[in-house]
Amino acid sequence: MAVKFFGQFLVERGVVSREALLEAIALQEATNLKFGEVAKNLGILSDADIEKVHAAQRTEDLRFGDMALKLELLSQAQMDEVLTKQKNDHLYIGEALVQVGALDGEALKKQLADFKADQAVYQQDQVVLPAKVEASALCEMIVDLSYKMFTRVAQLSFRPGAPLAVKELAANETIATMEFTGSLSGTYVLSVSAPVREQIARAVFSQADVSDESLEVLEDTVMEYVNIVCGNIAAKAAQMGKQMEILPPAIFRGPGNMPVPEGQVGLLFPICLADGEKVEFALFI
Amino acid sequence: MKRVLIADDSIAVARQLEKVVMSTGEFEVIGHAKNGAEAIKLNQTENPDIICMDLNMPIMDGLTALRNIKALDREVQVVMVTSLGGVGDKFSEALKLGARNVISKPFEAENVLNILRGL
Repeated sequence: MAVKFFGQFLVERGVVSREALLEAIALQEATNLKFGEVAKNLGILSDADIEKVHAAQRTEDLRFGDMALKLELLSQAQMDEVLTKQKNDHLYIGEALVQVGALDGEALKKQLADFKADQAVYQQDQVVLPAKVEASALCEMIVDLSYKMFTRVAQLSFRPGAPLAVKELAANETIATMEFTGSLSGTYVLSVSAPVREQIARAVFSQADVSDESLEVLEDTVMEYVNIVCGNIAAKAAQMGKQMEILPPAIFRGPGNMPVPEGQVGLLFPICLADGEKVEFALFI
Repeated sequence: MKRVLIADDSIAVARQLEKVVMSTGEFEVIGHAKNGAEAIKLNQTENPDIICMDLNMPIMDGLTALRNIKALDREVQVVMVTSLGGVGDKFSEALKLGARNVISKPFEAENVLNILRGL
C-alpha cells in the first residue's frame, strides 16, 4: 500500500493494460491543453504573445497566466475565461480510459471507490508546525504522512511529541537523511535508537528476528525506510500539484550532533514510544 | 524458469525482492546490480528475461538505465520497483520508456508475483 495515482492503481491491479493506460495518457495530453494553447484557441493570445511570456518566465518565476497578466497581454476577465475553459475541458485519466474503451462507466465508478478506500489512510490530518515556514501546506503534509508511515510501515505505536524549532539534532545510533529539491528544498532526517533501528529492520524484512544482521544491513533498512517515506511524500506532493525530487538516502556519521545548515530552519518532531526509546524526525528547510 | 535481474542500491530491498521472486519456483534471480550502470552491464552479460529495477539509485538512476537498456535490448522485460511510483510523471515516463509495470514500495509479495507472471 502506498500513495498512488489512479492510472498506476489500475495497472498494478491488472484492471487495465499498460498499453491502454499509455493510450489514455496520450489522449489526456492531447485534450488537456496548456494555458497558452487555450488562450490562443480562444483568440486571446497570439504566438508572438506566447513567446513573450515564455521569454519573461526565464527571468521571473511566475505561472504563464500571471505573467501574461503582468505583461498586460490579457485582462483579468480573459484570464478567468481561459482558466474556466481549461477546467471545464479537463479530461481525467478515468474518463480517458473510458473513452479509449479500456473501462466502462460502471467499472470506473467501482474502481474509483476502491481507489478512494485504498488511499483513505493517506488523507491528511491537522498538523501544527513549530515555526513560520515557507510552503507550510507541504510541510504539514510531510509531517502528517511521516506519522502515518510510522504506524503503517515501521509498525510502531507512538504518540507525537510537541514539535519545536531547533539549530541541531542530537546524536543518536543511526541518523538517516534524504535531500529533496523542487517546490520545497531541504533534507528529511530520521534519527533512531538501536532498538528502533531493529524494529524498522523487522518491518522492512518482514522477519521476526534480525539479531544476526550486520550494522550495515540494519542501517540500510533505515535508509530504505526513509526512501519509502520520502517517495510517498513526493507522490502526495504531486497530487497537491507540487514537485519534489528526492536524492538517494545517506547516513549522517557525525561526529556529535547534526547541525542545521546555515540559512535553513530546523523543525524537529519527537516521537514518543511506550518503552521510552528515542526517535525523532526533522525537516531542515 | 524465467531469469530475473534485481537492480536496487538497497541491500534490504534486494534481499526482500529475491525472497519473493524465488518463493514459488517460477523465477530464478541471476544477479544483483547496485545502480543503473551495473544493471546495463549485467543485462548484457547475463541476458535476463526480467529486470526489477529501482528508480532512485546513485551513480545512474533507474529511468536513465531503462532508456539505455531498452535502446540496446528490446526483448528484456523491465518492471520498476519504487516508492516514487505515485509520482504521475515518473510513472508514465517509465511506461513510455518501455517499462512493463511499476510496483510501489512498500510492496506485497502477491502483487509482485502477479505482475511478474503477467509479463
